[in-house]
Amino acid sequence: MILPSFKYHQPTTLNEAFAVAKTCNGDFDFIAGGTDVLPNYKNRLNNRSHVISLSAIKELFELGDSKIGAMVTLVQLEKNEWLLQNHPAIAQAAHLIATPPLRESATVGGNILLDTRCWFFNQSHLWRESKGFCLKADGNDCLVVPQKDICYATYSGDLAPVFMVLGASFHLAGPAGRREVAAADFFRHDGITRYVKQPEEILTHISLPENAGELRASYRKLRLRDSMDYPVMGAAVALRLNGKIVDELRIAITGIDTTPFLYDDITKGVSGRELNSALTAQIANDVMEAVKPYRNVHFTPQYRKAMVGVYLKRLLQELSGD
Amino acid sequence: MSSNSANGNGIVGTRVPLIDALKKTTGEGFYTDDIKLPGMIVGKILRSPHPHARVKRIDVSKAEALTGVHAVLTGDEPGAQNRFGVLPISRDEIALPKPGAAGRAGRVLYVGDCVAAVAADNEEIALQALALLDVEYEIVPAIIRVEKGLEKTTEPIQDRTKDGTNVHKTVEQQFGDVAGVLDNSAHVRTNEFEFIGVNHAFTEPMATIAHYDADDRLVLWSAQQVPHYLHRALADVMEMPMHRIRVIRPMVGGGFGGKSDPFPHEMIASLLSRKCRRPVKILFDREEVFYNNHGRHPTKTRIIVAADKDGMLTALDVDATIDGGAWGSFGVVTTYYNGVLAMGPYRIDNFNYAGRRVYTNKAPCGAMRGHGAVNTRFSFEVTLDQLADDLKMDPCDLRLKNLLPANTETINGFRITSNGTRECIERARERSGWDQKYGQLPFGQGIGLSCGFYISGSAHRIHFNELPHSTVHIKIDMDGGVTVHCMAAEIGQGSDTMLAQCVAESLGIKMERIRIFSADSDTDPVDLGSYSSRVTFMAGNAAVRAAEKIREKLIQAAARKTGYPAGGFVLTNEKVVYKPNPDIFLTFDEALTAALAKSGALIAKGAYLDPPPIGKRNEFKGWRAGLSPTYSFQAYMAQVHVDPETFEVRVQKVWAAHDCGKALNPLAVEGQIEGCVHMGLGQVLMEDMSYLHGTIQGPNFLDYRTLTPMQMPDVDVIIVESGDPEGPFGAKEAGEGPLLPILPAVANAIYDAVGVRVFSLPITPDKLWKAAQRQGVKID
Ligand SMILES: Cc1cc2nc3c(=O)[nH]c(=O)nc-3n(C[C@H](O)[C@H](O)[C@H](O)COP(=O)(O)OP(=O)(O)OC[C@H]3O[C@@H](n4cnc5c(N)ncnc54)[C@H](O)[C@@H]3O)c2cc1C
Repeated sequence: MILPSFKYHQPTTLNEAFAVAKTCNGDFDFIAGGTDVLPNYKNRLNNRSHVISLSAIKELFELGDSKIGAMVTLVQLEKNEWLLQNHPAIAQAAHLIATPPLRESATVGGNILLDTRCWFFNQSHLWRESKGFCLKADGNDCLVVPQKDICYATYSGDLAPVFMVLGASFHLAGPAGRREVAAADFFRHDGITRYVKQPEEILTHISLPENAGELRASYRKLRLRDSMDYPVMGAAVALRLNGKIVDELRIAITGIDTTPFLYDDITKGVSGRELNSALTAQIANDVMEAVKPYRNVHFTPQYRKAMVGVYLKRLLQELSGD
Repeated sequence: MSSNSANGNGIVGTRVPLIDALKKTTGEGFYTDDIKLPGMIVGKILRSPHPHARVKRIDVSKAEALTGVHAVLTGDEPGAQNRFGVLPISRDEIALPKPGAAGRAGRVLYVGDCVAAVAADNEEIALQALALLDVEYEIVPAIIRVEKGLEKTTEPIQDRTKDGTNVHKTVEQQFGDVAGVLDNSAHVRTNEFEFIGVNHAFTEPMATIAHYDADDRLVLWSAQQVPHYLHRALADVMEMPMHRIRVIRPMVGGGFGGKSDPFPHEMIASLLSRKCRRPVKILFDREEVFYNNHGRHPTKTRIIVAADKDGMLTALDVDATIDGGAWGSFGVVTTYYNGVLAMGPYRIDNFNYAGRRVYTNKAPCGAMRGHGAVNTRFSFEVTLDQLADDLKMDPCDLRLKNLLPANTETINGFRITSNGTRECIERARERSGWDQKYGQLPFGQGIGLSCGFYISGSAHRIHFNELPHSTVHIKIDMDGGVTVHCMAAEIGQGSDTMLAQCVAESLGIKMERIRIFSADSDTDPVDLGSYSSRVTFMAGNAAVRAAEKIREKLIQAAARKTGYPAGGFVLTNEKVVYKPNPDIFLTFDEALTAALAKSGALIAKGAYLDPPPIGKRNEFKGWRAGLSPTYSFQAYMAQVHVDPETFEVRVQKVWAAHDCGKALNPLAVEGQIEGCVHMGLGQVLMEDMSYLHGTIQGPNFLDYRTLTPMQMPDVDVIIVESGDPEGPFGAKEAGEGPLLPILPAVANAIYDAVGVRVFSLPITPDKLWKAAQRQGVKID
């Protein structure tokens, strides 16, 4: 498999990047580690004529002081002392992504902005031709849930749910200026548009709120193999207990739907209650009932749904020191 | 036979690193894709997006007009329609469909089937040219489910099928009185199993370079396990005599049966090269490897096993419906092996088998490690465990009670010589602590057992003729190096090292003197290839025989030179020594100089012909199938942990006892056994070549999951040496049999752990979870 040809740009500042992007008339992709973009290009999935690398823009590489640059690699995350001390769940989730060689190139920004996945989509041109193409590439209907409006490909990034439960913010820079979007508000329920970021905007960094360190957080990932595989369900939980009483609880699930999803509507109500086994079971069950997996990645939807319950129960037990 | 024990030279039986290992690990060695010839161009194949369609017309004009395109090939090219196939009895493959032709000749038969091809300056241009080919298809209803293929049809996938259906081959065999015995047996178990197809997942994708050269000779480099059958097929397709064709096998990055057919891309490269007179390279991407497939057949197996009240097995009945995909390949053999290899290693006097292989519009299936025996072995060994439950007997004891003895004949005519099954079971049982574990571990943990049985070479040839199965030439010239020629295909399994060891051991010399030439049909004598676990037994014997002739020449020379009688000399430690008085000796080089005097290079030839006549000649149809000069035996135990809520399975440890006759190279035997465990765990736990409406669901290594090192358990390899009377130094196979028992051992261990059985492979957590839900499994 060879890559399609494209023109490669390597700006050294954000402004230069915006300027280059402008000349491409929308026919471009930013590229960080390339571990998502390039396999998709090889499959001829929405490949563009211009690829703008972010690898020479220094400000994107910062790490520390509650700030994670978008170009920080996953290996750096895994091994970073400050993170291991203050936010071990981030390092832990990073460690579970892809494979060691991929984590050398893969970046945090690329992980958050990972394209959605589906077995009707992540296939070669020939394969997709044999199925008549799908809404997300070259076709006009979703082959998972036939209706012509939105794409049901699955969001499969591991880090986003962790950032969500920690209350992180994503910082964007664009030709029109900078803005900050809460991780919880970042994603959109459509496998094609995916998020609120505009195509010409660059994710510069992720910031963590002051009090994030007070939360105990953890992440667990369901997949068949202990390496290489994307999550077919991933659960992140952050918890602050006052004795046995819940002060704050946040739960996010990835690998199930077109976006990672934060279940504040379920967890808000439990603040002030004692986290006993009955409550643990109830929370796990409520979230499980709320998810709706589709049959477009491996493992049956029924099983993935059931595992939301099992994984959440275990995470809550782990974090409450049970 | 003189070759049944080591000469005591310490080469056979010691752990020898494979002789090509350094070249491979440092990157110095070259594979087909590493070869670059002057003027070489790139071939690419257009593949069908339809599972079944008539190719009505192909407009090649735009592609031909593209700058950088040297040739466009369709089924109109002379030769592209010539039939080929690895078995002379089912030659149903063609390189390319002929536009507009009636019947099979004009159709594409599965998604990924070859439609047309181009040769161009580089891959980019070739891909552009493919996109410019304008193909008009007419869709033909596709047969995807195997059951559908049993029905009558007006348009069968292949021309030659049974009674207007898509059935390719049927086998029926009956021994004893199964029906009568079933009525009277105390315990009978019936199960239906379903096996999804699996792919070999070798590392190196298919690669071929064809050069139709200035001398009008065709030279073909190809990643192949059976260069000889390829050679024959090329002669048929190209309509050239075999001596005008030269087949070269560079280093091969794994085969496992997946490179043991002549393939369309090899024909296509050859035809392209003949057309444009340039060397043409075709290298597959992984997706093409999956479309080319030839992997293990998806199979539905119904099995009945009966035992009397004391646990003596009384009857076995196997019924297999085998999904062949679009072509024949080795399928006739597969259809037999699903039945005839079922009984071993047990004595059962009543046995029925009915099998059928069905053409479907899916990627062709073929031979894969453990060919034909793996799925039935699984069915049988799992059912045996249920019988042990019914009988309230330990599964080890049930098996021990029913073992075939050594030196016996089975009801279907297999001649059993050496047999180490009892020792396999006993040693695995002891080392694993089975008696303290089975049925006694806490919920979620379990241990399981399975035995195995496999051929060590096929006693009968694919082509009926009287040529040897394997021939070895040895040449020694004045440089003192020993050149060994034999086309036995080194595919990573270590056959070159095996040949070197056999020769070095026989001549009492260091391995470093030996150089193996096993790649070139112009210079290396025929060996039938690396399939059916035949190479060590057959090529090894041929090598020993050739070396013995060389030894004789050196001894004669030493006797002449020293004046002592030839009968007293032995070759050992790089010397030709007079045994009655070891002070009298010539160094190997001195003896060689003496032997070369006035004669020149020493040359000798050895061959492996046939085992002594075996089988029930002509007593029943298919009497040849499964006959082997000897058989390998195994007993494996696997210990697993099953998460009681998620039903994720972790295989913690495997005790793998295998009777390979004699471990010529224990390091290589261990490697084969560990590799088999790894590969078999893939099939039992995760590998899955499902189809999504006629297209392979995930033809890539992300979706098609093979075991990663993270899931690989510790393997305690237990080598059992029963000393085969006819094997080279007592050896028999170690490449395929060791795969069989790991699958049922794991399934049986899962049952021991959580009391749940899944009757379809792979046993993924979601399936196990569902079965547990259905069964109402409660966690304590
Ligand atoms: C075999 C394999 C297994 C994998 N397994 C996993 C897994 O288990 N879990 C998982 O989460 N991922 C997995 N991945 C996906 C991928 O490797 C990671 O998600 C990785 O972190 C992506 O980062 P990248 O820098 O390589 O992204 P890229 O491929 O460079 O970019 C991804 C997307 O983000 C955009 N982008 C990147 N950075 C920015 C930025 N700063 N501003 C604006 N846009 C940007 C790109 O335009 C592109 O759309 C796997 C990939 C492979 C090939």
